[in-house]
Amino acid sequence: MKLKFGIASIVMLAILGFAFMPAQKKITVKGSDTMVILAQKWAEVYMKSHAETVVQVTGGGSGTGISALINGATDICNSSRPMKQTEMDKLKDRYASLGVEIPCAKDGITIFLHESNPVKELSLKQLSNIFSGKTRNWKEVGGPDEDIKLYGRENSSGTYVFFKDQVVKADYAANCQTLPGTAAVVNAVSKDKLGIGYGGAAYAAGVKHCAVKKDDKSPAFVANAETVKKGQYPITRYLYMYLKNRPTGEMKAYIDWILSPEGQSLVTAVGYFPVK
Amino acid sequence: MKKITRLLLTFGLIIPMLFVSTSSKAQKQVDELKKEQDTLKENVTTLRDKISGVEERIATAEGDLAKLTKIKLSGYIQAQYMHYEASNAYPSNVFMLRRVRIKFQYEPINGVVFVLQPDFLPGNITLKDAYVQLNDRWLKTFSLFAGKFNRPNYEVEYSSSSREVPERSRVIRAIYPDERATGAKLEIAPPKIPLKVQLALFNGNDGLTILDAAGVNINPLNNDFDNHKDFMGRVTYTFKLGQIGALGIGAHGYYGKIKANTLDVLNSDYTYNRTNDNIGQLVKKNWVGFEAQLYFDFLGGLALKGEYIFGVNGTPGYTSKSSAVSPMTSVIKNDTLTLTTLTTITTNSRPAIEKNFQGYYIYLIKNIGKRHQIAARYDYYDPNSKVSSDQIGIAKWDAAVKTTTTDKFTYAGTDAVIATNAQTKTVVVNTLKSGTSDIKYQTITLAYTYYFDDNIKIMLGYEIPLNKKVGVNDKGVGNVTTAYAVNGEPGVYDYSNTIKQNTLTLRLQVKF
Repeated sequence: MKLKFGIASIVMLAILGFAFMPAQKKITVKGSDTMVILAQKWAEVYMKSHAETVVQVTGGGSGTGISALINGATDICNSSRPMKQTEMDKLKDRYASLGVEIPCAKDGITIFLHESNPVKELSLKQLSNIFSGKTRNWKEVGGPDEDIKLYGRENSSGTYVFFKDQVVKADYAANCQTLPGTAAVVNAVSKDKLGIGYGGAAYAAGVKHCAVKKDDKSPAFVANAETVKKGQYPITRYLYMYLKNRPTGEMKAYIDWILSPEGQSLVTAVGYFPVK
Repeated sequence: MKKITRLLLTFGLIIPMLFVSTSSKAQKQVDELKKEQDTLKENVTTLRDKISGVEERIATAEGDLAKLTKIKLSGYIQAQYMHYEASNAYPSNVFMLRRVRIKFQYEPINGVVFVLQPDFLPGNITLKDAYVQLNDRWLKTFSLFAGKFNRPNYEVEYSSSSREVPERSRVIRAIYPDERATGAKLEIAPPKIPLKVQLALFNGNDGLTILDAAGVNINPLNNDFDNHKDFMGRVTYTFKLGQIGALGIGAHGYYGKIKANTLDVLNSDYTYNRTNDNIGQLVKKNWVGFEAQLYFDFLGGLALKGEYIFGVNGTPGYTSKSSAVSPMTSVIKNDTLTLTTLTTITTNSRPAIEKNFQGYYIYLIKNIGKRHQIAARYDYYDPNSKVSSDQIGIAKWDAAVKTTTTDKFTYAGTDAVIATNAQTKTVVVNTLKSGTSDIKYQTITLAYTYYFDDNIKIMLGYEIPLNKKVGVNDKGVGNVTTAYAVNGEPGVYDYSNTIKQNTLTLRLQVKF
């Protein structure tokens, strides 16, 4: 018995040794497509001043990023929605850790319309009805007597989940065309006079920004730094980075830099809003 | 001059002819172009129709695919090699399949989920989960389950595909056999509050082994056999400890009863408690448990998890009757020949008993890097906290054997010289003695897990169960022993010693 305990102890001590092995200076980042531009910008600027560090950024959607974090396929997961309890449980089961959540930017989910669309503002209720398929004609919301064409994100996207939970509050209409990335949504709406789409503020070029109001009696606001900061724009959210454990070494340095004034200035430059 | 005139005449004739020929050619070309245009129009129309057809087919295929996305398949296989150190184990090492499970999940509409999970173990296909789950679509807080599903308890609900050691702790295996139960459950989990409340009603007999006098399990199909339904409730709350980790705390309670199957009911210490009016009356199954899970970020994930459960766990008894007729006897007395038949009716009773029990477990889990995990668990289970170890084998309830004899004479007439006597003897044996089912165990489990990736892991586990030595006294009275035979070689387990029952498990798990 004593011998077996001895062997078991030695094996466990040997394994513990792995914990103190020096970490590599390559950092992998995966997740939210909404955050890809921002994450790439951070990586690009950081690597210029930290030549010894390689930051590799890929998209795929928040859900994909969180799965990759659970699988151990990425060091940092970018997510445009908070982690779900079920995902946290998986992380807990796999790594005995609840993960670390770092809000790193703010975003106002923008409603994109074609530039020729006469509709200027929509309430949250109207948006819910449009994206759930209850409202099918632009005439019902002050537009032309034409069918509404819906463009949205794939279900692995955090933006898809956030917009569904916070705005649609029901299943998306079956005719909502799903596209891989906010850039694709913007592109589709820019070519479709009857189109409407949603996505991160940073991508909204070549389309009209629709003002959004909480309800019929509230004033409508367009997403911009001021309205998001003041909480006036009704569809705002945090953008997060998730890690398995508290960051150490190079990872900590990178995250500290992202949250520093230099890192946060890039948030504004890309089109999002800083957390502080 | 003539030449010039001839030339002009020639040109005058040729040019109009050329015009005529050119204009007819042009007309022809126009006609051909029109034809081509018509053909092209036809082709475009045909292509449009074809595209519409393809679009329709794509739409249909997309519709079908959308339906398929409502079905989710997951599952896992655990194949393992086990080496038993127990002397009564034969074979002492085996390859085996521990789990072969596929979980089918179908969500036809948002908020309605059907779940079916069979276990495909060779020769023993069983249905593990089969339930309908209705999720509240508005507040996203309430979920109603109906069917067969896990009982609400931390270790029970923690899937064996995620567990850090090979088996659940002994106390959980004892009070929640087979993990699942049939009934209904309401879960309340507000989306933004880390609180979860579970309230459930079950039949209460799922997974229990209830023996009759012949030692046969009378509960093999787990069909309910009493009108009492068991209630379970569990509340958990998780506190976030900033970036350091989290602390989850919770409590659960079980309030149940089960048909006694016998009249007499004993206390946990084998003293007499009461006599029921009929065998359909009930014995108690009441307990509470307190749990905590601490997740701490120390050079990677570190978890400390534990639970303490105590209460009363009633075990049904049995009553069985048998009769035997002895050969006829004859006696001549006072000129009367008496022919006697003796019928002996024996009632074998094992009283029901309400045992006080307690048990707990503590896990220490450390993750090292992305792929390594080590875990240690200490668990303790005292199935009868009212009988001390030196009384096990001695404590018993033994109703004195009751024997009653009745005579029933029948005479053939007043001057009869022959009488028949139908004699009946009733014997009631009613006893229960403490023994192996009362022995305390402490079990140490050590495990190392290597994660190849998210789907594949390999676990090496070593379980060391240590029984509390019992029935030890100078006179050798009350020693608890179990006889066994391996390949015809008899052996005896003497529980006044620590029995060697260690088990080594090497498990490969594939999960998808």
